[in-house]
Amino acid sequence: MSKFQAKLSDIARVIRTSKIWKSIFRHSYQDTPRNRALMVLSNVFLHLHPVKVRPASLRYRYTWGLGGLSFYLFLSLTLTGVLLMFYYRPTIEHAYWDMKDLRFVVPFGPFLRNMHRWSAHVMVLLVMFHMASVFYRSAYKPPREYNWVVGVILLLITFLLSFTGYLLPWDQLAIWAVTVGTNMAANSPILGSEGPFSIVTPDMDARFILLGSKIVGQSGLLRFYVLHCVFLPLIFIILVSVHLWRVRKDEFSAIPLPPEEERRKGVLPEEWVKKHPEALQEKVFTWPNLVSREFVALLAITAILVIWSVFGHAPLEELANPNKTPNPSKAPWYFVGLQELLVYFDPWMAGVVLPTLILVGLIAIPYLDINPTGVGYYNFKNRKFATGIFTYGLVLWFGLIFIGYYMRGPGWELYLPWEKWDHFRPTSQIGLHNMPNWLGLVFLLGYGALGMLIPKIFFKDFYKSLGPIKYLVVMFLVLVMFFVPVKIVLRNVLKIKYIVSFPDFNLNI
Amino acid sequence: MTDQPTPPVPPPPPSKPLKSMQQVEVDESKVWNLWFTRREFLTMAAWGTVLAGLGGSALGLLRYFIPRITYDPPSIFKIGKPEDYPLGQVDERWKKKYRIWVERESIEKGGGLFVIFARCTHLGCTPNWLEGQNKFKCPCHGSGFRRTGINFEGPAPRPLERCKVALADDGQVVVDISTRFRNPKDWNKTDAYLKVKV
Repeated sequence: MSKFQAKLSDIARVIRTSKIWKSIFRHSYQDTPRNRALMVLSNVFLHLHPVKVRPASLRYRYTWGLGGLSFYLFLSLTLTGVLLMFYYRPTIEHAYWDMKDLRFVVPFGPFLRNMHRWSAHVMVLLVMFHMASVFYRSAYKPPREYNWVVGVILLLITFLLSFTGYLLPWDQLAIWAVTVGTNMAANSPILGSEGPFSIVTPDMDARFILLGSKIVGQSGLLRFYVLHCVFLPLIFIILVSVHLWRVRKDEFSAIPLPPEEERRKGVLPEEWVKKHPEALQEKVFTWPNLVSREFVALLAITAILVIWSVFGHAPLEELANPNKTPNPSKAPWYFVGLQELLVYFDPWMAGVVLPTLILVGLIAIPYLDINPTGVGYYNFKNRKFATGIFTYGLVLWFGLIFIGYYMRGPGWELYLPWEKWDHFRPTSQIGLHNMPNWLGLVFLLGYGALGMLIPKIFFKDFYKSLGPIKYLVVMFLVLVMFFVPVKIVLRNVLKIKYIVSFPDFNLNI
Repeated sequence: MTDQPTPPVPPPPPSKPLKSMQQVEVDESKVWNLWFTRREFLTMAAWGTVLAGLGGSALGLLRYFIPRITYDPPSIFKIGKPEDYPLGQVDERWKKKYRIWVERESIEKGGGLFVIFARCTHLGCTPNWLEGQNKFKCPCHGSGFRRTGINFEGPAPRPLERCKVALADDGQVVVDISTRFRNPKDWNKTDAYLKVKV
């Protein structure tokens, strides 16, 4: 050891034995089992983890780190968002020009804004993927049903956070996406002034409460700003605390898998584990096994986002102009699937009823799926119905997003992704007619009745295991899911606009 | 203090049971035969008060978000004399400022004047008037409307709305865009259609 190094280690020892140092760090850093436990136990941030975890939950390909990364992106979005707030004023005179300043005048302004924008997109995507991975691992089954519900609400809040942030730049993209979005609220049944069975006037309906006005203007901008920066993040923090705490208390669902040859023979992991309790007992320290993996995932996503933000600029179009609608004007990508449904359904269906049913259906999953197999590992074989329906829903959701985002041009006309848009192409929405109402009612009732009866007759075990109430709920949700492609075919092949139409009540299906 | 604590003296046993412990003759006809006890009633009343308070607060909060005044542009304004608008044309001069089209019918149809609100009935985008194709066309989802405002293509569920029109004392046309007529049956009403002497 050189003299210099000796000097340095002397100084280090003085620091590490000082009262101040010891008041902050209560244990040393030597790699001992005790310190590994204390690293998690005595640290308020790390103690979201248990001290020890099962090795099965460590594999990257088990969770893909999706939940942890979503939470990390939320923290990173909070940081970049707070920094952006120092330059942004939520008024229609200033908002757009403050964005321009951030883009061209403020040092590192473009980087922070790009980082905020791209992280938001990635977070929405990762939260959706996180939900899918939890579903395929059956991690919502008892005792974790309620945490799945909290997760669905967190997904909704993630959408709302992203959507409210969309208005703030006050450019053409912003106000027209939000105009379309809030007009869907005006089409809510009963509580929207333009929806079916409306009981309210435009100056007190759901859209008015969102915007504080009948149009997207100053009061709407302020409301969205407060929701985006204060209200929704607070709710998110409360719920995500519950979510993470429950994950820890219920222990990560992961269970060890039997050896390859036994799996090939068709031995289910949960049965193998019963005979090999020692495998279930095996646990390793969270520090450093899990924490280091989380750190790697976090570094990887940070690197991707930093590179993306240095080279890719967040869009900023012309100043908002309520009298000039861009053609086509699209919602943020994660809502484009719903916007695509607007071709086939009236706004109250596409914008209110179907999204509500999606949320209710997702929340109901753990209470409807009574099949106990598959908890803690990927299992498709023994859960064919559940994974089949869920996968169908995912494909429908992302398929509609793809069509809406890449295949819709001016006038919401269908174009191939590489085709050039033609602003003068005549519309294809011609020759549409409605079914006569009597036939439409017969069609709807017949669809519902046959859809309920046929599985009951052909899949008796399915009906018996669920019981009448769960069966009704499951089949209702499934029939609504399949009604979407039915309507798409009716519209495109038979040119039917509405199956039933009662214009006096704004009720068209 | 020098006083020593004296051991407590047990109270003498009561010669007869306390009044509360005595069996009292109850006149059944005077008792309220209720299905809840006094304690249950008070508990329910307390919870009811709490819930009523919470419900009232929720309603108040909702009401807080609906202000009595909004600072939107005025909804009633004058747009000049009827004669300023050429017969048989869709006039776009107020579209940018007030979001309306002023239409004057041709003589054969009566030569009257009406005002169409430039807001698509599908999801509220602003349509464009295409003179060459003789129709209004919405850029958002491709809805098309005839020059009368009747929808004929695309997803719009109903015709474009018409605004209330009247003639002021100074001979100018007054438009009220907050009063609108949705149903084509109402379009012949005096409020929706301004007869002009030709």
